Amino acid sequence: MKKIITISLWEYLEKVKTKAFILSLIITPLLIITVTLLPSLLIQEDGPKVEVIGIIDTSGIYFNYLEEEFQKHKLPNGQNNYLLINLNKISKTYDGIKRIADKDVVKNLINGYLIIETTEQNSVFAEYRSNLFGNFKVVARFEEALNYFKTKNVLEKAGVPSRVLDEIQDRTIIQQRKISESGKTTDLDFLTTFFLSVVFILLLMMMVVYSGQMLVRSMIEEKSSRLIEMLISSSTPDELLTGKLFGLSLLGITQIIIWVLIGMSLVASSILPVAAFKNIIPMLAYFILGFLFYASLFVGIGSTVNTEQEAQHITTYLSLILMLPVVVAMPAIQNPDFILTKVFSYIPLTIPTVMLLRLNVQNVSNLDIIISLLIMIFSVFIVTKVSAKIFRIGILSYGNKPTLKEIFQWIKE
Amino acid sequence: MLIVNKLVKRFNTTLAVDNISFTVRPGKIFGLLGPNGAGKTTTIRTILNIIKPTSGEIIFNGNPITYEYYNMIGYLPEERGLYKRSRVIDVLVYFASLKNLSNKDATKSADFWLKKLNIYNYRNKKIEQLSKGNQQKIQLIAAIIHNPSLLILDEPFTGFDPINQQEVKDLILSFVSEGKTIILSTHQMELAEKLCEDILLLNNGKEVSSGNLSDIKKHFGGNNIRLGFTGDSSFLDHLPEILKHDNYNNYSDIQLRDDIIPSEFLKKMIRKIEVNHFSIVEPSLNKIFIDLIKKISD
Repeated sequence: MKKIITISLWEYLEKVKTKAFILSLIITPLLIITVTLLPSLLIQEDGPKVEVIGIIDTSGIYFNYLEEEFQKHKLPNGQNNYLLINLNKISKTYDGIKRIADKDVVKNLINGYLIIETTEQNSVFAEYRSNLFGNFKVVARFEEALNYFKTKNVLEKAGVPSRVLDEIQDRTIIQQRKISESGKTTDLDFLTTFFLSVVFILLLMMMVVYSGQMLVRSMIEEKSSRLIEMLISSSTPDELLTGKLFGLSLLGITQIIIWVLIGMSLVASSILPVAAFKNIIPMLAYFILGFLFYASLFVGIGSTVNTEQEAQHITTYLSLILMLPVVVAMPAIQNPDFILTKVFSYIPLTIPTVMLLRLNVQNVSNLDIIISLLIMIFSVFIVTKVSAKIFRIGILSYGNKPTLKEIFQWIKE
Repeated sequence: MLIVNKLVKRFNTTLAVDNISFTVRPGKIFGLLGPNGAGKTTTIRTILNIIKPTSGEIIFNGNPITYEYYNMIGYLPEERGLYKRSRVIDVLVYFASLKNLSNKDATKSADFWLKKLNIYNYRNKKIEQLSKGNQQKIQLIAAIIHNPSLLILDEPFTGFDPINQQEVKDLILSFVSEGKTIILSTHQMELAEKLCEDILLLNNGKEVSSGNLSDIKKHFGGNNIRLGFTGDSSFLDHLPEILKHDNYNNYSDIQLRDDIIPSEFLKKMIRKIEVNHFSIVEPSLNKIFIDLIKKISD
């Protein structure tokens, strides 16, 4: 036992001190936060600006209405969101107006301008011109306003009071609520929970790939320098394997603790709601078991590898397997009975990630959770045993990469 | 005492070690000799329990060797390497604590050896910052840091310059004087000749010869002299006392018939030629080895 502790402490301390580890500790969550939060931050950033929009209204009936209508849209600070300018008089000809307006757009004097023309059949043709696509919000608001205006006109002509229109306009908005078995309902934003699952899956993936690579790399170093002989003449292969696994787990725990701290500070700063973490206990269970499963897999496979290149191949394959839940994510959200999702929930390689996803987007029964956790615990046990057998011989086989047949022989021995 | 009894190790189709037996006496240097690929390292690995023998047994201090004996054995592998990015002192303490030394004792012992081998000022440097020779010294310290009673050295001299080789040789001798047992595996016969008392000569996994070195020499020695003289050496071709001779620029190595007394032969020579050197030569281990291999293959 003393030797196991010595080995795991060595493995842990030597790796935790590396620049690569320290960087990964900070960079990984930063990357994930950036990827998940940046878009919403950018959208918010866009909000508080006043937009200046020109209107070319050939019929002359729309400008006043639009100006009045758009006063409703306020910025958080109470200012009007839009400033509409009538461009009808800036030139004598229609083409002249357009030329000047185009220039103003290019020079960023105005954000864009809207051309409204009424055709002979009394239908409205409108065009929004600006220096970029993606003015979804403003275009949608113009469409809504113009359609409202048209509907109101049509109804008034038909003698329907405008009160009726307002009643029609009163829309029904559907709230989404997730029901769990205990009958409790939650109205947590779906995207938040979904994102949280994705964040967890990403964290697990990066942690597995990263620490796996680290482990395999150090084993290659030990093999190529024959350090392994010094180690094996000082401790049993089982002690070495267990020590390495413990060391790696300590490394993982360090990462988790720091990431949890980051997560808690995000909650504290109310970027993430506390409710997002209601599944945290099963989530952590899948996370830890998943990590152990992959770590012991890495120890076994890693011991057969002799070069960095081979190691790279193996980590690539494993990370592809870890990416599988992304493939089944959409079907799993739309249809809880999607067969592939069910199947993946019983395969040890995919249980951790698929269950991390399902926990937050579906109502997974407790039975399902228990069964999959038991499968995981059992698999971790089996994989460690098999890995130990491969490890015992693999670490001392240099030169050619062993064939699968040879590895099976090692396991049988 | 270490006894290796009828050791066989087979890798798939190749027989790496073929039924060898030997005894390593305590407090002596035992030479495990042979060319590259003779099976020396495989033998060492089975002694160290790194690989399991196909058959045969290894007895250490009266019991079959097990993992418990690890802490009494020190091992310097043939191919050297250390954790390059770690500090010298950390690596040494790690290896010492793997041999069950406490951190405090490990540090003390590491410092002692670093000082003794004149590399104490590298104590806190990273291994990769050291020269190759100094890295080898670190590895040697890692093998002896826990004060083992049996020390297994696989080609300990390769990679050292002559000065460091001398240092390592002195170190080995000082171990023996402390009563420690040493197994020295090497293909450098000249060095083995100077250090070992007992030897085992291996070739292709098989024992070629074994036993006390001086007995072996006596047995294979024959009647050899070195004769230095001036002038033409062609007269040696027709002397009846001579079985064989190798001529060099200033001298000849001569094998006399077993019944010839070297001093009588010298007297005869002095009368014939101008002798400027005469010595009785023991055959080198190298020569014995080559002769033995030839004899086997004939």
